[in-house]
Amino acid sequence: MELEKKRTTPSTPALAQKRAAAYRLGTIVLIALAVLTAIEFAVGRSGTAIVALLIIGLFKAGLILQYYMHISLLWSDEGGHG
Amino acid sequence: MSTIASTMADYRHQLRNNRLGLWLFFISEAFLFGGLFVSRFYLWGNTRPELDQTLGLTITSILLLSSFFMNRAEMAIAHDDRRTFLNSLLITAALGILFLIGVVGFEWRGHIRPWDGAFGAVLFGMTGMHALHVLSGVIFILIVWNNGRKGHYSSERHWGVEACAIYWHYVDVIWVFFYPALYLMGTVVR
Repeated sequence: MELEKKRTTPSTPALAQKRAAAYRLGTIVLIALAVLTAIEFAVGRSGTAIVALLIIGLFKAGLILQYYMHISLLWSDEGGHG
Repeated sequence: MSTIASTMADYRHQLRNNRLGLWLFFISEAFLFGGLFVSRFYLWGNTRPELDQTLGLTITSILLLSSFFMNRAEMAIAHDDRRTFLNSLLITAALGILFLIGVVGFEWRGHIRPWDGAFGAVLFGMTGMHALHVLSGVIFILIVWNNGRKGHYSSERHWGVEACAIYWHYVDVIWVFFYPALYLMGTVVR
């Protein structure tokens, strides 16, 4: 019980703050993806704008690659988990 | 250099190699999915079959939401929050299963069959190959969850979690392009 509490409770306020910031970033990316999906759906329903839909798709993929897949870690010298 | 520092340096070196290997695997997978994507435009052109738009939007939203929870799981283990880590993994797996139910249980039971010419071939080829990757992703997540439950990961060492998360997001990126190609692009042919 004590061990479980230790594992789930932030050890320092700094760590808790870092963690909250990481969760917040994830939420912001989700909101951006949801907005882009809504725009994509509206554009798709309004006509046959293939190029516009591809551009929106590229933006969505870029957000996922950068913020969820951490692609920049590939050329990071530190080599940690990021 | 102390033994601990040396071990961590080795781990970081190994981590960079693992990461590079995983991304090389993704590049090879991109050829597979890219081929399917191109075949859609070659065979369907500027047309598409009539598909359930509500279902398409719903399963897309489910997959995006699952990516959010997968990211949350990865961030949780990176910041020593084990409870959120395990819960988020289970939510991600559940959303992945919901996505599969949407594709296999609903979309595949629609009016288009696999043998219905180009429409059937492309629709089932693209959704089938993607669903197979979602299924393998769900299995991967459940393995990571089981390992996490046993305490195999820490904030310093969680390559298994990172690999699983990146794989899951990759499957999401594929759907980001497949969804408009199947459901939104082109004129509906009835």
